[in-house]
Amino acid sequence: MTAVALAARTARFRPARALRLEIKHSPVVWALPVLAALFYFNAYRTAAGFPPVWSVRASVISGANLVFFSVIGAGIAAWTAAREGRRKTGDLLATTARAPWARRSTVLAATTFWVLLAYLAGVAVIYVQTASEATWGGPPLWPVAVGVAGIAAACALGFAGGALFPSRFTAPIVAVAVFVAWFVGIAAANGVQNAANGMKGTPALLVAATGRPQDPALGVFYRVAPDVSIAQVMVMGGVLLAAVGLLARWPSPGMPVRRRLTVTAAILVAAGVAAAAAAFSLTGTARNFFPAGWEIPAVHDAADNQPVPYTPDCAVGAFTVCIHPAFAPYLGAMAAALRPAAAEIAGLPGAPVRAEMNSGVAPRAVAGTTSVYAYSTEQEGVGGESFWATPATAGTTAWEQGAQQDFITWFVSGPAEQDSPGPTPAEEAVAIALLARIGAPVPQYPQFSQPSTSSGGSSASSTAGGSATSGASGAQSGAQSAATAAQITAAATRVGSLSSAARHAWLAASIAGLRSGAITLAQLP
Amino acid sequence: MNIELTDVTRTFGRNKAVDGVSLAVGPGVFGLLGPNGAGKTSLLRMLATVLPPSSGTVRLLGRDPARPAARTEIRRGLGYLPQNLGYYPAFTVAEFVEYFALLKEMPAGQVPRAVAAAIERVDLGPKAKSRLRTLSGGMLRRVGIAQAIVNEPELLLFDEPTAGLDPEQRVGFRALIRDLGRQATVVVSTHLVEDVGAACSEVGLMAEGKVVFRGAPDELIAQGAGSELGDSALERGYSAVLAASRKRVAA
Repeated sequence: MTAVALAARTARFRPARALRLEIKHSPVVWALPVLAALFYFNAYRTAAGFPPVWSVRASVISGANLVFFSVIGAGIAAWTAAREGRRKTGDLLATTARAPWARRSTVLAATTFWVLLAYLAGVAVIYVQTASEATWGGPPLWPVAVGVAGIAAACALGFAGGALFPSRFTAPIVAVAVFVAWFVGIAAANGVQNAANGMKGTPALLVAATGRPQDPALGVFYRVAPDVSIAQVMVMGGVLLAAVGLLARWPSPGMPVRRRLTVTAAILVAAGVAAAAAAFSLTGTARNFFPAGWEIPAVHDAADNQPVPYTPDCAVGAFTVCIHPAFAPYLGAMAAALRPAAAEIAGLPGAPVRAEMNSGVAPRAVAGTTSVYAYSTEQEGVGGESFWATPATAGTTAWEQGAQQDFITWFVSGPAEQDSPGPTPAEEAVAIALLARIGAPVPQYPQFSQPSTSSGGSSASSTAGGSATSGASGAQSGAQSAATAAQITAAATRVGSLSSAARHAWLAASIAGLRSGAITLAQLP
Repeated sequence: MNIELTDVTRTFGRNKAVDGVSLAVGPGVFGLLGPNGAGKTSLLRMLATVLPPSSGTVRLLGRDPARPAARTEIRRGLGYLPQNLGYYPAFTVAEFVEYFALLKEMPAGQVPRAVAAAIERVDLGPKAKSRLRTLSGGMLRRVGIAQAIVNEPELLLFDEPTAGLDPEQRVGFRALIRDLGRQATVVVSTHLVEDVGAACSEVGLMAEGKVVFRGAPDELIAQGAGSELGDSALERGYSAVLAASRKRVAA
């Protein structure tokens, strides 16, 4: 039987075997150590430094991890695409029955397979490590989908570049171009990431940002809406389709191609461009709603706006400290930090009898007249890093003192309004004196840490039934700036030198006046 | 006829590489001779469906390669060994031949046996698992021959197939193409006239893009009667035909 007759009767290409050969000989194998090193230094260590909260750690997967894997993937894809020219196999391969697009798709698939495999192995490492530390929730899949789509798109883009411009310089040029494109996009995206509540979105959202999320409680109190991830997958899928379309129309040199192939390629490119354009358009309609994040009305599920129910973990005692179960590893440290501070103000008007974590925007209602110190992951602590510290770091003296500063400042000044000018000099002096009693250092008030404008107050915003009112007012800001650190320190020393009973009695009688700003530095005992 | 060319021309810019060639070739071994730049490789690349003609018609295995569907069918029955064989150094001999068997869309179940048979036919059995980067030039040439014949093609095109082969291998190769030529059309483009004399049933001689002679090797030998240019009778015939062609062009 002749070859043609035989082929016409039974021949059907079996891509699996050709793919296996390409996978076996893919140059990505040689790049795996580089990918492993990039993963370790850029993704693994970053994730390990984040609190063990699923959504927070998963942000690395579609951030730094995606960037470096896609850069390497695009470069290697461009290199493999230029293989036929480099190895001078073009003529030989052009005489085979298999269509060029199918042959090259196999090469692209093998390259993408290895890069994706390495990427997913990295995801598995991060998720396994997070699973061993996280106390609440489960692995989010949207960041993985974004990463997979991004890597597939980068490989296809790189391959198309290498195929259309075959040169030994194409691969490094493609890799550098993808790297630069990411970082230009990231610079824009980081600006959008820090957008104010209610701010309108831009196409910069389509870039998977490498920066850490705004809040360590990302995805804890509210689910992370997948809206932006959907748009990101759309744009990356669009790039992938368009690149595959370009490859499909890639003809044999000089030989006419099937019309059907041209039409298919045109459809793929058009579909890719349409998907990317739709994603651009969608992100223009996005709005930032803290703490749930960016919402795109066309794809948003209203259920994502509902708080995620949970039962707090509590350390019950004379001063009960409760925390969201996602931050359970911090409970011991938080209780150890707050209890000495709570004991120092126990019995004073408005002194809290328990502490509860909330989302920072919607304090949980607490029945009765019990005063509750409501804190959130947004509280600043030492350098504003309280809940960005890992549980291992949370037990340190510095971390505990940060929590104490927030707590005492909150009590002395009363719940601070957003954008309030901060505590008055008298409030600062009293807070310093109280903190000194429990061994905490001087808080970083403006006078002590210019030019910071940190209030030192937490976002804790409510004492249900408590007597405290907002103490600091705009009228005090002039007096505050007039007071020097030396004057405040001197007043704090005076208050601190009082006996416990005398200080307690003075505070019981004067805390309301202190908070209202009626008491000045000179009037402190 | 497996090859039917009618007034085929191929130009590259102002250079006419193939100039009005008409040729019909059936099963057997067809030797294509000619000096450098005569247009042999361009003609072979057109027969290999790599290059479309600038004008004229080409029919291969009874089909028109200008039509994509027909071209695919032709390629399933085609074997081609280019002058400069490109290869992937990390592939083993067996993998390289298998790769081409798969790309030629051979029935999957027949691939392993066909690969083994092709490798054996070029005496590379012991080297089947060697990586191509470890092979000598002659062995690589045999790998190229193996990939060309793996699908038992009806149309085989060899461009300088014996370059780099030692005398024993060349003798073996001539036997191989004689064997292949019993069922298929084998076109061998070469500078080595002794290959033609030993293996080809028919010879074509190209000069300046045209086929200036076509006939049996004995007829080419007869053209050289009285000529002193060349060490063998075939070489003398070859030189005489070329000289006559140049005279015609000059005139």
